[in-house]
Amino acid sequence: MSDRTVLCVDAADDIESVSSAIDAEDGLTAIEATSVEDATDRLESGSVDCVVTEYDLPDGTGLDIVETLRETNPQTPCVLFTDVKPGEIDTASFEEMIVEYLNRDLPDAVDRLGFVVDDVITHSAQVGFLVPDSEQSRLEALGEYDVEELPIEDSFSRLTDLIASHFDAAVAFIGLIEKDEEDFLACTGADWDSLTREDTICTHSMLQEDVMVVEDINEDKRFSSNETLHNLGIVSYAGANMTTTDGQVIGQVCLIDHEPRQYSEAQRQDLEQFADTAMEILELRQNLRAARTTEVEA
Amino acid sequence: MSLANSERFAVEALDLAPIEGGTSILLTGDDTDALEAVFHRLTAPADDERSVLLTTDTSGTAVKRALSGVARGADDRATVLACEGPDRGDDVETVDDITDLTGLGMEFSTLVAAATQDTEKFRAGILLCSTIMGEIEDTRSVYRFLNSNFLTELRRSGGVGVCAVDTSSDIGADMNSTIAGLETSFNARIHVESTGRNEATLDVSGLDGDDGTIDISW
Repeated sequence: MSDRTVLCVDAADDIESVSSAIDAEDGLTAIEATSVEDATDRLESGSVDCVVTEYDLPDGTGLDIVETLRETNPQTPCVLFTDVKPGEIDTASFEEMIVEYLNRDLPDAVDRLGFVVDDVITHSAQVGFLVPDSEQSRLEALGEYDVEELPIEDSFSRLTDLIASHFDAAVAFIGLIEKDEEDFLACTGADWDSLTREDTICTHSMLQEDVMVVEDINEDKRFSSNETLHNLGIVSYAGANMTTTDGQVIGQVCLIDHEPRQYSEAQRQDLEQFADTAMEILELRQNLRAARTTEVEA
Repeated sequence: MSLANSERFAVEALDLAPIEGGTSILLTGDDTDALEAVFHRLTAPADDERSVLLTTDTSGTAVKRALSGVARGADDRATVLACEGPDRGDDVETVDDITDLTGLGMEFSTLVAAATQDTEKFRAGILLCSTIMGEIEDTRSVYRFLNSNFLTELRRSGGVGVCAVDTSSDIGADMNSTIAGLETSFNARIHVESTGRNEATLDVSGLDGDDGTIDISW
């Protein structure tokens, strides 16, 4: 198991007990901070895999740290490790920031801490999107495609050019949905490289069998508060699944417009066909590469 | 520490086979009364179990009364976190603000932790998740809440969980698309179709041996 870094935040007198509990767990390494300011600096200087924080800190509270974390790394899990009871915690300014709460007064609290941290990291337990029950199999299916080694970008770029033109859409893209983010392999009409998964509409679209259309993101609470989408100028969306022969959805072919838009049934079917074509291109490239590798080895 | 045990949970009131520990059930329907009736039958704790239920539209005492109607003494083995009604009676806690998911999540986790100190078998439920979705500004917070405070607890402790969604509610998003998404994160789905006064048909999928339709009355 690769080493995972956990930022532990507590007052100077107590930090040792927290960080030693983390270090005692296989695969976890603690780094320490003893104030909100110190923790914020740490988070801004590099990413961590999890944050464990006391609620009461010398210059603020643990929820101040969670607020920073949700802004910079929204999918990073956080554990509030404290003896302050939930009813005594001031959540008024932090109403939608979910954390794992672990009562420090529990007899086995320190033993539990390492287990809980390992579990929330391993299972991406605090992400703000729905994870399919078959996620592990899906990621394994995605891992079979060595996209880095396939000369596929030109083919996909030509395809997204065609798709954008066919639908007269502002943006057309092909994206693969990895564990934590969506990687755009081709994108016509915008210069997008990747997006955090909980910010993408595709992470919702991939859960539907048919084409998902959002006519206006401002009218849908799943997306209306998503600043990333607004900053990218996204108003309407249509997405179709790229599905492997084993039935795993690994990516999406999508249309974006900067104004509200509807799609007819015929247009939805066309988009599905484009998604099937993208998947075929990916399969063919992969098969060709595998055949060449076999040839060289022979 | 270990993860889920392999206990099974009886649901005789619905004529379902015992449900395997760790199972999460998405319960949907557009008739609130029928939805509540099925919810209470799925979450009523047996003699050796505890239940922790989050209710959004019903008082804690009303939920306890309903549980008692399903199984004698079930109300005494249940803790209710209610967003409605007075903070009254044993094992009834209330929260003032349903949109405070940070506080709600911590309270719910604390109650689950307390329940699992008493017994290894617990049932958990949310009635109605659609009300939370309708009140919250950003649905991503609800998903984070479900992932962190509900599905994670079931996975770790091997309990049975039921998340009820009233499909006639206004959740500020496309209901069919939202249900399609939710369905992929839960192990099983039960859709309740009311067929008359105190009668309904359950469309069950994802539960061992029970896939198909079941007619019930109460």
